[in-house]
Amino acid sequence: MTPDPLSATLAALADPTRRAILARLSAGEATVTELAQPFAMSLPAVSKHLKVLQRAGLIARSREAQWRPCRIEAGPLKDLADWLAQYRRFWEASFDRLDDYLREVQQKGTAHDRSK
Amino acid sequence: MTGASDIAAAHELVVARVIDAPRALVFRAWTRPEHIARWWGPQGFATIHCDMDVRVGGSYRFGMRSPQGTEHWKRGTYREIVEPERIVFTFAWEDANGNPGRELLTTVTFAEHGTKTKLTLRQAGFDTIDRRDDHATGWASCLQRFADYITTEA
Repeated sequence: MTPDPLSATLAALADPTRRAILARLSAGEATVTELAQPFAMSLPAVSKHLKVLQRAGLIARSREAQWRPCRIEAGPLKDLADWLAQYRRFWEASFDRLDDYLREVQQKGTAHDRSK
Repeated sequence: MTGASDIAAAHELVVARVIDAPRALVFRAWTRPEHIARWWGPQGFATIHCDMDVRVGGSYRFGMRSPQGTEHWKRGTYREIVEPERIVFTFAWEDANGNPGRELLTTVTFAEHGTKTKLTLRQAGFDTIDRRDDHATGWASCLQRFADYITTEA
């Protein structure tokens, strides 16, 4: 079964090394050797992570260049952010109501205390 | 350009709010159906179903109706209940056939803020249930490490 794009993005991001690789690439293109440096990791291990990121469309690698530098692709991250934004709107709207409701509850409580 | 903060923002949602009510009351408003039914969902939405078993492993299912008459259902399972500080639960919207969509692990914390309460909600998405279980405990610290990394390296 082919996972939906969102699943592929989330799966790719569910790993601290891959998130760190993306963070590095957000500062500019880098080769595999450059990416491997901060991680005390073998080149094949880093390549494995890059393949996951590439399959998820989060990075692109030049086919022609001998050094094949990697660069970040914004599309999937934007889709993920848009998806989460729907949840944000839901919670913001609910919290508005929660605030109003609890103010009402407390006012009623105070009125009730006075009437005792 | 996509920045490191976009990467951090893209896989965790954080919504915080200071609510003008004592912490014990805010916690009750999240854990008692008679309260939840009064504030859940956007303005104008009516709660039509509210079924919650507030204990670790217990599940909930809520239904609401929009002002246009569309029904929205959500469900999940409670993972952690620490009165009056924290609730952790899974959250998934159902589709039109009642099948749950992608699950988000949701953590709500309640902190005293003078006489008010600071409410912080975090939601993180995971690719599979197995992976979510593996990562449920490590996720927050991963994110913290990631945030530290961004601050120092980027």
